[in-house]
Amino acid sequence: MATQVFKVPDSFKKDFKYTFCPGCDHGVAIKLVAEVMDELGIREKTIAATSIGCSVTIYDFLNVDAIESPHGRALAVATGVKRANPDKFVFTYSGDGDFASIGLAESLHAALRGECLSAICINNTTYGMTGGQLGPTTLLGQVTTTSPMGRNVEYYGYPVKIAEHVALCDGTAFSARVSLDTIANIRKAKQAIKKAFEVQLQGLGFGFVEILSTCPTNWRMSPQQAHERVRNEMMPVFVPGVYKDITNKENN
Amino acid sequence: MEKNFVIAGFGGQGVLLAGEVLANAFMLEDKKVTWYPCYGAEMRGGTVNCEIVMSDEEVSSVNKKEADFIIVLNQASFDKFEPKVKKGGYLIVNTSLAEKIENRSDIHYVFAPISEMAEKLGNVKMANMLSLGLLMRASGLLSVDILEKALDTVLPVHRKNLLPLNKNAMEMGYKYDLLAVNC
Amino acid sequence: MVECLNKTKVLTKGNYAIANAAVIAGCDCYFGYPITPQSEIGEFMSGKMQELKRAYVSAESELAAINMVLGACSTGKKAMTSSSSCAIALMQEALSYATSDELPVVLVSVMRGGPGLGNIFPSQGDYNQSTIGGGDGDYKIIVLSPSTVQEAVDLTYKTFYLAHKYRNPAILLADGLLGQMMEPVEFGEYPYPEVDHSDWALLGAKNRNSRIIRSYSPQEEPQCEHIRHIFEKYRHLEENEVMYEEIDTEDADLVVLSFGSLSRNVKAAIKQLREKGLKIGFFRPITLFPFPNKRLQEIAGKTKKFLTIEVNMGQMVRDVRLAVNGKVPVEFYGKPVGSWPSVEELAEAIEKAVI
Repeated sequence: MATQVFKVPDSFKKDFKYTFCPGCDHGVAIKLVAEVMDELGIREKTIAATSIGCSVTIYDFLNVDAIESPHGRALAVATGVKRANPDKFVFTYSGDGDFASIGLAESLHAALRGECLSAICINNTTYGMTGGQLGPTTLLGQVTTTSPMGRNVEYYGYPVKIAEHVALCDGTAFSARVSLDTIANIRKAKQAIKKAFEVQLQGLGFGFVEILSTCPTNWRMSPQQAHERVRNEMMPVFVPGVYKDITNKENN
Repeated sequence: MEKNFVIAGFGGQGVLLAGEVLANAFMLEDKKVTWYPCYGAEMRGGTVNCEIVMSDEEVSSVNKKEADFIIVLNQASFDKFEPKVKKGGYLIVNTSLAEKIENRSDIHYVFAPISEMAEKLGNVKMANMLSLGLLMRASGLLSVDILEKALDTVLPVHRKNLLPLNKNAMEMGYKYDLLAVNC
Repeated sequence: MVECLNKTKVLTKGNYAIANAAVIAGCDCYFGYPITPQSEIGEFMSGKMQELKRAYVSAESELAAINMVLGACSTGKKAMTSSSSCAIALMQEALSYATSDELPVVLVSVMRGGPGLGNIFPSQGDYNQSTIGGGDGDYKIIVLSPSTVQEAVDLTYKTFYLAHKYRNPAILLADGLLGQMMEPVEFGEYPYPEVDHSDWALLGAKNRNSRIIRSYSPQEEPQCEHIRHIFEKYRHLEENEVMYEEIDTEDADLVVLSFGSLSRNVKAAIKQLREKGLKIGFFRPITLFPFPNKRLQEIAGKTKKFLTIEVNMGQMVRDVRLAVNGKVPVEFYGKPVGSWPSVEELAEAIEKAVI
């Protein structure tokens, strides 16, 4: 008898079309979010506050209610949704530009207030949708369309380490950074997403996961090369791990 | 009929509260009334005043060029507001903190050592309520009882104990001998 | 001040009255950031909303506050923020989104002096900011302008109702004078029916397809259709929701227009001049959008001249001129910012304008 090893998560729309570039990790990340929703049985009470950028299209994949936030304001919009409806499950799904550049104030203040929200941030070291410009997470030395000689400190300053910053907020219940470069890491990523969702459901506070992702198109790389870059260039700077977990006493 | 009143002093003299009591008193008498504050940028110690307009119909404008009755609790307010009393109107002056001078002959002056009188009653802070008593005597518009009722409306529950003393202050102001006054 | 709720008649500040009325209107959520001269609204709400177990957030910025309102409104709840002038400038993007998203956003705007940081004196400098706005694209905001504290209460109720009835942002446009002054008010009950949002609000995709509230519209034709649909609502507003106050325009040689609390001074000045035998009428738009175009066209057919008085350099006068479309001359009198011109000053200016 055949065993099913792959299935489209129940939280997906039946008629979704795959719209991301080949080799982009958004597809994997969204599938993990949907699988966690399936496992926790929360789809019907979920409201997503989406962001601006490639991440906005999550509402074309997931069969959940969603509001599209103005650029950078996802965590404020999500705060409004959640405060008005404390019984709903509310999450955001943003890129690094939305979460940590234009929306840094909203993101950190939601964490500082300890909003019972879950936030996923895709870190691909560039502004993807607009064509690969320098963003808040662009690595030192990285060439982008607005850092043609590579990111240097004199002109651009330093990249932001998001998971560490979120972990410093007293209202944060869980903060982790994960990678999608290997099967093992994808499994860890799913665990982290689940934890970030659970802390909201348990009313413990802000749950956050930063996901290191590829952008093969703007990086001018094949999918395989892109994942090697995640491993060799991003992970030494943006070190994966759990930075805060108030449910795990030993860790803190 | 429309009458307007200005109460002026320095921050901390209870000018705004006195105005609020006066406005509430007119409301209790079913008059139309507005209260409008004016103060400097500082939270404490600056000059402050408020204007109360009482009318039988909808109040026309809440801050007017001149006023029928003006209470000045310090010298700076005297200097600023003496010219703004309407012809035939009243200027009530706290001589404890302002000089007893009459620069105009077309208005009524009521001079009283308001701060010293309040101090004698037990607390200089009651100067504002005492001045309202004077105002009522000069204007003949309201009774001290209505003022007291208005103060009761304005005072928060934890300050109600101040009511009897403040009523005394209003009465003292009301009974102050205005005959010595040039009117 | 918090305890004034439910009292039949109370002397209270405009800002407290507006906040109290919002609570009575059933405001579920308040999100705000302080700015003079409207901080009393947020102060009142911080206590009252917690007392009533409703939602309240001291937002990190006006950007966050208005976007929290968007979030709460997307679930069909009654949500509001309040602010002033330079800070409402920060909210323009979200207002544009909210028109496209068709969200019932309620914003209380208490005008201070501008441009820039300006000052905290009263002003009417944000007529354009409210009625035209600074967001992108084709949209309009419902704008109601009270002239007394009692009217501020009544129009707060109406602002909530119209925002929810038309699913469009609505602004209660007050000024620093109205916000800071006290006047006796009666609150009564919220006089409008509740609007059912269950057919569009985000409440979780249970036993139905998911709902998406979005302004992103990559295709040309659907976006055209969407905007036409929104403008159909605006046409409906113009036909059904116009409010104004009109006095003695029938025989008037000159009709004087003003909006907001300045109208009190203007009316008093006209009364003086009427007593002198001058035929002067008065007209006050209460809804600044929808603007009373139709009625002004009718009046323009009967009078010789319009004079618009504002405490700004001439903002509403532009709408008046558009309304009368050259039928009669429309003059302007005003000052940029600060205490309202006295009745005497206005009487002099109006008398000069009489033909």
